[in-house]
Amino acid sequence: MEYVTSLFSVALLASAIRVTMPILLASLGAVHAERGGVVNIGLEGIMIMGTFFGAVGAYAFDAQFPFLAKTWPDLAPLAGVLAAIAAGLLFGLIHALVTITFRVDQIISGVALNLLAGGLARFLNILLFEKATQSPGVRGFTPIDIPLLRDLPALRPLVTGVSPIIITGVALVAVSQWVLRRTRFGLRLRAVGEYPLAADTLGVNVYRLRYAGVLLSGALAGMAGAYLAIEQAHLYFEGMTQGRGFIALAAMIFGNWWPVGALGASALFGYFDALSLRVVRLPVPYQFINVLPHIVTILVLAGFVRRARMPAADGVPYTKEEE
Amino acid sequence: MKHRLLVLQMATPVLAILFGMLSASVIILAIGRNPLDVYAVMVRFNLTRTDSLFSILFKTTPLIFAGLAVALSFRVSLFNIGVEGQYYIGAFCAALVGFSMRGLPAVLHLPLALLAAAVGAMVWALLPIVLKLRRGAHEVITTIMMNYIASALLLYLINDVFRDPTQIGTPRVRTPLVAAAARVPSLGPLLAPLGLHGSDVEKLNLLLPVGIVIAVVLAYFLSRTRFGYEVRAVAFNPLAAEAAGIPNARVQFGMFMLSAGIAGLVGLNDILGFFGYLDIDFPKGLGFLGISVALLAKNNPLGVIPAALLFGFLDRGAAGVQFFARVPKEIIVILQALIILAIVVAYELLTRYVRIQRKREAELPVTAAPVAEATGR
Repeated sequence: MEYVTSLFSVALLASAIRVTMPILLASLGAVHAERGGVVNIGLEGIMIMGTFFGAVGAYAFDAQFPFLAKTWPDLAPLAGVLAAIAAGLLFGLIHALVTITFRVDQIISGVALNLLAGGLARFLNILLFEKATQSPGVRGFTPIDIPLLRDLPALRPLVTGVSPIIITGVALVAVSQWVLRRTRFGLRLRAVGEYPLAADTLGVNVYRLRYAGVLLSGALAGMAGAYLAIEQAHLYFEGMTQGRGFIALAAMIFGNWWPVGALGASALFGYFDALSLRVVRLPVPYQFINVLPHIVTILVLAGFVRRARMPAADGVPYTKEEE
Repeated sequence: MKHRLLVLQMATPVLAILFGMLSASVIILAIGRNPLDVYAVMVRFNLTRTDSLFSILFKTTPLIFAGLAVALSFRVSLFNIGVEGQYYIGAFCAALVGFSMRGLPAVLHLPLALLAAAVGAMVWALLPIVLKLRRGAHEVITTIMMNYIASALLLYLINDVFRDPTQIGTPRVRTPLVAAAARVPSLGPLLAPLGLHGSDVEKLNLLLPVGIVIAVVLAYFLSRTRFGYEVRAVAFNPLAAEAAGIPNARVQFGMFMLSAGIAGLVGLNDILGFFGYLDIDFPKGLGFLGISVALLAKNNPLGVIPAALLFGFLDRGAAGVQFFARVPKEIIVILQALIILAIVVAYELLTRYVRIQRKREAELPVTAAPVAEATGR
């Protein structure tokens, strides 16, 4: 197929891994929220906040603490990531407050959060940089080369220049999978998402666990945005998330609400995303290449939702008996 | 009790809007401006200038359609977040009919363009609703994906296929001009005898009264016809409705299509009413504002009109706030989002309060209850 240099070249796979990360992190967050029974449509908005605060945090650190930034070059991007996670936690808190404590419809709260995040990002950008749509450039983390594998020439693009966030992300998948399957917190979270009434009668604090799930989703989505801005694009520009927050939800569904499944599903979307960046000769108009991941998302949802099993109480607000 | 209930129901949206304004004030204070100043500027800009008043009405028109579209889908517990993409496609279909057919009389051309817009949008909504009803695919995600695809499709069609040849070489990327017969008539001639003139007055077009009429018709339709009854049944208790023989899926499909059809008309205020062509920078984001309008209106078609007015008011205020109060106009977007959050929380709290009150009333001892009713409490 002469349209792409090669469908399975190592370079393409390396690119795919990088492009998968934002979707993966957001999807991981979505898994935690929905396992607790709360749908978080606002992930796109939180990711937008993550991209903004990630870029701005890194840039501000560089500007405010130039000596520190020079001695430990990884501090600036780290500051960005932390700022993004903080923003994500804040928005997650709003979503949790509105949907868990006030029991408003979760989809509506998510949509409102997306609007808020979009407006806030643009507002703050104008305020800080006087350009509605773009921030100055930021550096990424120092890339890591995986020690033993880097000496294999065939694998070189895959294992050299790896971002620490990629490693963290994959580790988080493994940790989450274990937490959800084997720890008390994970099992209780799942119970709360399946049959909160039963969990409540056993003394589990439904509200607190749901808050935990949603806050985790906010933090992870913020991190996803930070990665996108700091490591991939090296700046913030408006609309850079391109619906990845929603694609992450589809990845969660496709992955059957498991972290490992989310990894596989995100990888699929990431692959098509990376493919769209490397098309050499175009059999279709270029505008459609950009929406390839979105088309794949619809196909996935069309084909696979019935087979997947969502947490039984997903999307349903919980009311304690006495109220 | 009923009296108090009515007062509460009127007060709730007002209180929520005030709360939204309060929250936005915090942000305004954080950037070092005076919130009272900002709001005063907005009110003054909007209400003391005639061009503002008509501009508000002009901005309200598409919001009525968008709000109605979203409200219709919410009524059957479906989330048509795809109004955005549907109106892009509708706008294009209308523009296509407008510029590709020549020589048709207005009485044919304009309705044809409107029909094309509605049908185009309905076709665009087909995939998500069918996937939802047949495969259980989450319509929120599928409609949002369709929005992105619509955006890409429109970029392609306007830039590569139907670009106006007279505009090549300029930074303007748009379709050819729509035939005059396909333009929506302006309300200018109607308002001139009243002494109202000016470019803003002439901007107002027939779509505003049409939108209001559609809202009234829908209100009647939902409350007085059999289909409207089925809609309410499906919304309240889908299982019971199904047991009563109401074809849930068909009702949902019908309402979703109706929602999409109206969504298709959202962009026509600008395309056929003002510009006369579809530009690559045509107004976007009206679909999401429609969601806000529908939420404020509690999905009531008649309530959509004042709700749309409020958002039109806020939209107009954005220009004033940016120019005169030196606050970025995006503060209005933030205000709108905060208002929605406040509104939905407030409505939810109100519903809960009413429920608790009703429960308390039902628990009153039997002898006391009739007395309570009789005294009107």
